Amino acid sequence: MTDLNALDDEDFRLAVRRWLREAYPPELRNPPKRLHWRDNKVWYLKLAEKGWLAPGWPREHGGMGLSAAKQLIMLDEYERHGVARTNDHGIVMLGPLLIRYGTEAQKSRFLPKILSGEHIWCQGYSEPNAGSDLASVATTAVREGEDWVLNGQKTWTTLANDANWIFVLARTDRAAKKQEGISFFLVPMDAPGVTVRPIVNLDLHDEFCEVFFDTVRVPHDNLVGAVNQGWTMAKALLGFERVMIGSPKQSAYALGRLRLLAQRMGGWDDPVFQDRYTGLRLDLADHTSLYETYLEILRRGEMPGADASMLKLHQSELYQRITDTMLEIAAENAGLLEPMEGNRDLNPAGLFLQARPVTIYGGSNEIQRNILARTVLGLPG
Amino acid sequence: MSVAADRSENLRMIRDSAGAVVPPGDLRRVRALRSGAPGIDRDVWREMCAMGWPGLRLPEAEGGSGLGMAEFCALVEELGRGLVPEPLIQGAFAARLLRGEALEALLAGERIVLPAWQERAGAIAAGRDAALRDGRVTGRKLFVPMASCADAFLVTTHDGLALVRADAPGVSLEIAGTQDGGHFGTLSLDDAPAEAVAAATEDAVDEALDEAALALAAYLLGAMERSFALTLDYLCTRRQFGRPIGSFQALQHRAADLGIQIALTRASVESAAATLDSAGPAAPRAAAVSRAKARAATASMLVTRQAIQLHGAIGYTDEADIGLYLRKAMVLANLHGSAAEHRARYARLLPETDHD
Ligand SMILES: Cc1cc2nc3c(=O)[nH]c(=O)nc-3n(C[C@H](O)[C@H](O)[C@H](O)COP(=O)(O)OP(=O)(O)OC[C@H]3O[C@@H](n4cnc5c(N)ncnc54)[C@H](O)[C@@H]3O)c2cc1C
Repeated sequence: MTDLNALDDEDFRLAVRRWLREAYPPELRNPPKRLHWRDNKVWYLKLAEKGWLAPGWPREHGGMGLSAAKQLIMLDEYERHGVARTNDHGIVMLGPLLIRYGTEAQKSRFLPKILSGEHIWCQGYSEPNAGSDLASVATTAVREGEDWVLNGQKTWTTLANDANWIFVLARTDRAAKKQEGISFFLVPMDAPGVTVRPIVNLDLHDEFCEVFFDTVRVPHDNLVGAVNQGWTMAKALLGFERVMIGSPKQSAYALGRLRLLAQRMGGWDDPVFQDRYTGLRLDLADHTSLYETYLEILRRGEMPGADASMLKLHQSELYQRITDTMLEIAAENAGLLEPMEGNRDLNPAGLFLQARPVTIYGGSNEIQRNILARTVLGLPG
Repeated sequence: MSVAADRSENLRMIRDSAGAVVPPGDLRRVRALRSGAPGIDRDVWREMCAMGWPGLRLPEAEGGSGLGMAEFCALVEELGRGLVPEPLIQGAFAARLLRGEALEALLAGERIVLPAWQERAGAIAAGRDAALRDGRVTGRKLFVPMASCADAFLVTTHDGLALVRADAPGVSLEIAGTQDGGHFGTLSLDDAPAEAVAAATEDAVDEALDEAALALAAYLLGAMERSFALTLDYLCTRRQFGRPIGSFQALQHRAADLGIQIALTRASVESAAATLDSAGPAAPRAAAVSRAKARAATASMLVTRQAIQLHGAIGYTDEADIGLYLRKAMVLANLHGSAAEHRARYARLLPETDHD
């Protein structure tokens, strides 16, 4: 394989572009809703075959080990081509966590299967009574010989209806302080006692689910980190998640759609609109510069700090400001159920709705502001 | 009783009667009607007519109740609280312009007549490119709310108003679903037989349009108030970190800010209704409507959006009623002119003079 890092930026860009033209299924460009595995599998497997699934993972673990600058180029080309998001929990969350905290056995058992598409992961953190207060998880895991037995319920589990594995925070010590009695488990979804119930979201899509655990047995080997060290795992993984949500991808996509919409609605040349649009563009450009510094941190194999909250806050709110603007200029089309004129690029209402939960998931923006204020800025608690 | 006391008694009675016909707490009926044609319940519509609602503003001599915009807005606000899909605002708009047998059939609940006035997206003023000649009308009208329930359309044309039966030859209707479970119709008229509605002047049409725009603001006010009330309830009951989430100062401040926007909207809507209810020159009347509609559009989007945020993930489910308020605001905020269109119209109507 050619060393992509050795290519100059322009050649790298052209290589990515050429490959997307050859390999990306045209019918999957800019889908109006997040794709399920049955639809994006074909693309995931092509990425797998090419070795391009994990741009940020180190090469010794099967990643591309790409520099931050090149990852951004890749992202930019994906965005221009309208490449859809895949079932990426394994790539952006669990993989980096295992690379950092997994045993050698866990790494060699799970990483290759993420990269081959054999294991599709979902995130079993939230519960009905443990949302922002995640450390209150009530799902229990009780040791029985070499096994752990799980009971409880997770909810809002994105694409659990596609996944065959779930990573779960469960309480392993009820007597300890709540952060100190949690462990991190890897659970196959086909284990007896796991049930999934999809939930229809505001965009009328079955994108998240409830997951129930009724006496589910997993071996001790499926515990990551040490017993009762789950909170450390949970926070590390949330750090990766925040960098992932901080990717300029969503905002860049939305900004492109805002331009098309303004051109279609006839307000594009209006100087007031131009000023507003350029303001959003600059926000995106500055955001991308900030994001690049975090990609470098990840590439060096370091952990993003609590300040990654900034990235999540700014990206999610920029995305919402862009989609808010779309509704404001869309006239009556703001209320349509389907894309305008059957054109999936003109879908202001759909994008507006899809931008809503980004300020809720991955730790709500209120919680991120609390973290920023206390942990980063050092204000009293 | 004084006139003022009389009036507030009227308003109270109107609000109560609205609550009796369409109780706001239960959205099961609204959910059941979502995304089906015609999207309304004819029995409820007939009941609304029996209560005299479409004719509330008409003089008693024309079969109406002789009440003002203050009363109509109070009524519509209640419908907004319950997200009622029946097209009362549009029916009342048509009733303002019809006379004779057509009006009687509308007021009696026998026929639903919906105005078809719009020819371009984002319009506030009536489009009049459609042509009415020799009892036939040709043209294209956009964004007719709940169009598939209409028995007839009241069409603005270059040559005055025309009444067109929905099932007449040359009439075709294209339906696009909306986020609130309703729909917009695009009405194409190709030499369709029509009845001229002679009595209505262009000014009367403009006024009826402004009344409808203000009524939309009132509907949005009711909807945002209800979504806010549900949210405040949730802030008091949902617990995280061992406390009700409403005890966190960040959320208290957010709620306080939303409360301010709602108070401003109410003040603006009530002031505009009072302006329309008193005699006065046209420009300040229309400007008052624009002020109220601009405020209601932005405030309703803000409040219903934040309602989702404050509910957390449950707010992002279709199961939770709170999302229905956001969907309604998405559909109504830009109808009869977006906030930006109304701000621009306000500035045109009431230009600021230097130091007066
Ligand atoms: C689309 C979507 C996908 C998701 N996918 C997953 C997934 O795959 N896996 C998973 O485990 N979870 C997932 N979640 C759940 C997500 O992590 C939670 O929704 C989030 O942590 C908030 O919890 P909650 O919904 O219970 O809201 P709550 O915690 O009840 O919060 C309600 C409101 O109160 C605010 N609030 C709470 N505490 C404070 C405080 N101390 N100070 C100020 N404000 C506060 C919140 O910010 C929010 O506005 C998803 C959520 C969504 C919407």
